[in-house]
Amino acid sequence: MNSTSPPYVGFGLGLRTCYFEEIIATNPKVDWFEIISENYFVAGGKPWHYLSQIKERYPIVMHGVSMSIGSTSDVNFDYLDKLKQTIDRVQPLWISDHLCFSSLGDFNSHDLLPMPYTEESLTHLSQRLSIVQDYLERPLILENVSSYLTYQASEMNEWTFLAELHNRTGCQFLLDINNIYVSARNHQFDPNEFLDAIPSSAIAQIHLAGHSDFGSHVIDTHDQPVCDAVWELFLKFANSHTPVNTMIERDDNFPDFKEIMAELTHARSLAPSNWKNYEYA
Amino acid sequence: MQDLWPQATGKIMSTLEQLQSDFIAMLQGHNTSFTDHIAQQTGLSPGQRSEIYQNAYQIRLKKVLEQDHEMLGLYLGDELFDQMAESYLALFPSQSSSLREYGERLPDFLSAHTPFKEHGILSEMALFERLLLRAFDAADGKLLELAHLQSIEQKAWPNIVLQLHHSVHILTCKYSAVESWQALKNSTSPPPPELNNTQYWIIARARDKRTGFYPLSECHFQCLMSIKQGLPFGFICEAAAHVTGDQQQGTLEVMQLLQQGIELGWFLQSSAMQ
Repeated sequence: MNSTSPPYVGFGLGLRTCYFEEIIATNPKVDWFEIISENYFVAGGKPWHYLSQIKERYPIVMHGVSMSIGSTSDVNFDYLDKLKQTIDRVQPLWISDHLCFSSLGDFNSHDLLPMPYTEESLTHLSQRLSIVQDYLERPLILENVSSYLTYQASEMNEWTFLAELHNRTGCQFLLDINNIYVSARNHQFDPNEFLDAIPSSAIAQIHLAGHSDFGSHVIDTHDQPVCDAVWELFLKFANSHTPVNTMIERDDNFPDFKEIMAELTHARSLAPSNWKNYEYA
Repeated sequence: MQDLWPQATGKIMSTLEQLQSDFIAMLQGHNTSFTDHIAQQTGLSPGQRSEIYQNAYQIRLKKVLEQDHEMLGLYLGDELFDQMAESYLALFPSQSSSLREYGERLPDFLSAHTPFKEHGILSEMALFERLLLRAFDAADGKLLELAHLQSIEQKAWPNIVLQLHHSVHILTCKYSAVESWQALKNSTSPPPPELNNTQYWIIARARDKRTGFYPLSECHFQCLMSIKQGLPFGFICEAAAHVTGDQQQGTLEVMQLLQQGIELGWFLQSSAMQ
């Protein structure tokens, strides 16, 4: 299954429960919202009550955290079935998950554990991607994860690995620029080298988020404002690429909604003028 | 259900399988040789790098229990709650793709393991908090309205079957779990754990989607249990009469329950009623 680029729809926000009522009451200037897929693997109640109202007004995309596409265990079709049912109900513009493994056998770590960057992983992920996309009958966009270690077994760096995976499968990526920055700090590489190595045709979405800096290392907490270094990376990226769907992602320590909106406005202001022309109306 | 790990099936592991198996074992504290997989880099040692993942795993799951069982945490205090979370994590690593389900076995854990099993209120309080969570995102459904009941012919009443909303849960308490939960929520001291009589509660999502809970009389408890079993209206009235010792009083109790339940959205418009 070949990938199809999603439409360019502008600047979005991660939809979180604490902002439901304010979004419904104020109709903020947000071009689209991204939901966490697994939060809607439930039958009803408030999550669906609010989402059904918000999706009447805004395009929705779905972002998963538990597919564990890199796992060497059997493909979890129970999970894929729930995801497919949710996709049918939400009708998202596109779906994404992480390039990692989270579970093995019956054990679920609920973490985004890095893959070794090897030929074996490339083959494995290519096969898994094909199975998943065929089952879901739509492309799956993959997000780069933050990492705190590199494996002895790795045969290439992360950006070469991603570019090769795109080359083999046509898959597209959700580049989390914060994650790139976190990994760059933890492994001491130049994040620009990472960003420059990914073909524009392979980039479907951008995440901008925050982290916690411990000096000796950086932890991807997604609970802080976007830092200056990440804004600079985004600025450079935006000025050298055609428009890419861009989103502010916050997963904890939620501030007032106006602070998140201020970050979104800042992201818009950094993007060149051609990023303001949306395909989606 | 997924297959067992390759190791358990006797299959020879690939390099990737071995690495993932060792990583997961490290997270659970079973394998300290995982660091052999980690490349030496400047800055943190391989041991420190693997610890970041191990700590994150433990912190993440403990945080889920803290969020889902906030009042239980207050009741236990930090030290006992940490002990509970660590023991639970060791016995029940997560097997679900949803963190929401992680604490599902906590009530059973608390009723089976020392020192918690000596205090029955803990298991009850954990169960009460689980039921609140289950009610929160249970399936929606078309609610029974008073007008619908009024349209039913009198002769059909004994055979109508009421259906509880998917969010409705009935809880029987031997201890003051719910009263203590309420007290802690209101930042006041919880009452003594022992109750003079068994207490019954209904937990359900109201029409405005808010989750609520209400005390039940024994009569209303018996009626709701009969409804849950799918028994027709005539049997429910008999159950109520049995508790009250009076046919007329029993019917009155059932009508009061119906009125309250319709107002609060406890009943679905059952197909058996149409």
